[in-house]
Amino acid sequence: MSNRLLVSTKKGLFSVERESTGWRVSRVSFLAENVTLAHVDPHDGGWFVALNLGHFGVKLKYSPDAGATWEERAAPAYPEGAQVITGDGKPPAPATLKLIWALESGGADQPGRLWAGTAPGGLFRSDDGGKSWELVRSLWDRPERTQWFGGGADLPAIHSLCRDPRDSKTLRLAISSGGVWITEDDGASWQLGGEGIFAEYMPPEHKFNPNIQDVHMMTQCRTAPDYLWAQHHNGIFRSADGGRKWDVVSNAVPSVFGFGVAVHPHDPKTAWFVPAVKDERRVPVDGKVVVSRTRDGGNTFDVLRNGLPQEHAYDLVYRHALAVDETGDRVAFGSTTGGLWVSEDQGDSWSAIPARLPPVHAVTFCS
Amino acid sequence: MPMVVIASSLTRWLTPTPTSGLGERSVSVSGSTVREVLESLFALYPQLRTYVTDERGALRHHVVAFVDGTAVQDKATLSEPVSVNGEIYLFQALSGG
Repeated sequence: MSNRLLVSTKKGLFSVERESTGWRVSRVSFLAENVTLAHVDPHDGGWFVALNLGHFGVKLKYSPDAGATWEERAAPAYPEGAQVITGDGKPPAPATLKLIWALESGGADQPGRLWAGTAPGGLFRSDDGGKSWELVRSLWDRPERTQWFGGGADLPAIHSLCRDPRDSKTLRLAISSGGVWITEDDGASWQLGGEGIFAEYMPPEHKFNPNIQDVHMMTQCRTAPDYLWAQHHNGIFRSADGGRKWDVVSNAVPSVFGFGVAVHPHDPKTAWFVPAVKDERRVPVDGKVVVSRTRDGGNTFDVLRNGLPQEHAYDLVYRHALAVDETGDRVAFGSTTGGLWVSEDQGDSWSAIPARLPPVHAVTFCS
Repeated sequence: MPMVVIASSLTRWLTPTPTSGLGERSVSVSGSTVREVLESLFALYPQLRTYVTDERGALRHHVVAFVDGTAVQDKATLSEPVSVNGEIYLFQALSGG
């Protein structure tokens, strides 16, 4: 059971711990700095933290001791000559790192391995714990990349990385907007997945084009990783074959739009979402913050609101700001207006953390 | 040797987590061009490199270097000369809310 949450916010990294009286902020690192993502190494418990310092660029830091001390790590760098070419008519431009948007550790058989998904669309690999990085050319050089484009951001970006716990050479990733990609040979070659995902808003000939789909977030079931869920710009989709074929889930209430998705680690039919009205109205339905949960693979949904604000609440939850712990009992989410809520009963009831936090980019459970 | 004056908003990143209150710092380093002086500075403070220059080696878009009171014009090549007694001020815009 995870007793700590790492909360990445626009103004610092907040470590929130389960104490006898509830969840409380126990440590603040990088106060006033823009922390965009935290990742906990599953092998040694070390913390990787990505920062976007604006004028000073994107940085990566590492703590081996739960935030007591920090070390420098290299940020991925696009090589000379790398160009961003997008499918939405923007002029080509030199590729430079804009954001580290996803971090994933390798398997136990890959010591030092770290993957980084970035804007503008490059996947990077490190084999020395983030001290050096290499652009994964096998994906970057795919001709399909030139048809990717930004969703809410200017440029395409990799936000979801799912390493298969059964086979470290299998990695599934999702791009906004570039669909779902799969490697089964440790990144030597890639296949485009995402068959069945669709975007109603695209011209008819591109509606089902898997290479341009705006997947907001993709998450796997840890113990059944062939089962994946995706919160897409257009709605919710699920896959039972490792991301190749997908089915739409249209029964979500009160809406199908949102950013994050969390999947129960032992039950692939149980997943959580935090819905907003729709793409052009990114606020909770009726000003009430709710979590929608399915326990039957998306046939039916519970609307969970016990302990959540139900009056003039306009919290939006970003894609990395909804998480479930390794037991599947503890679920947490943080919002753009600084709310942070934790449930210890799979979402049936929620407690607000007694803090007014900066806008939350991401929440990450750790032990 | 030329002297580089590093603004306080940069000196706070000389440690892995920001340290406030260090103030600006003056360092004498060798070099006869902006590039050479900065390389000498980065040899002394390796962690400063990615804060001052981008991944192409150019001065970051919002970072400015003044050489004896004149802003460096070519932020990509950084080839402008620096005299033996030259002074380089390094600082940047700050924004956000």
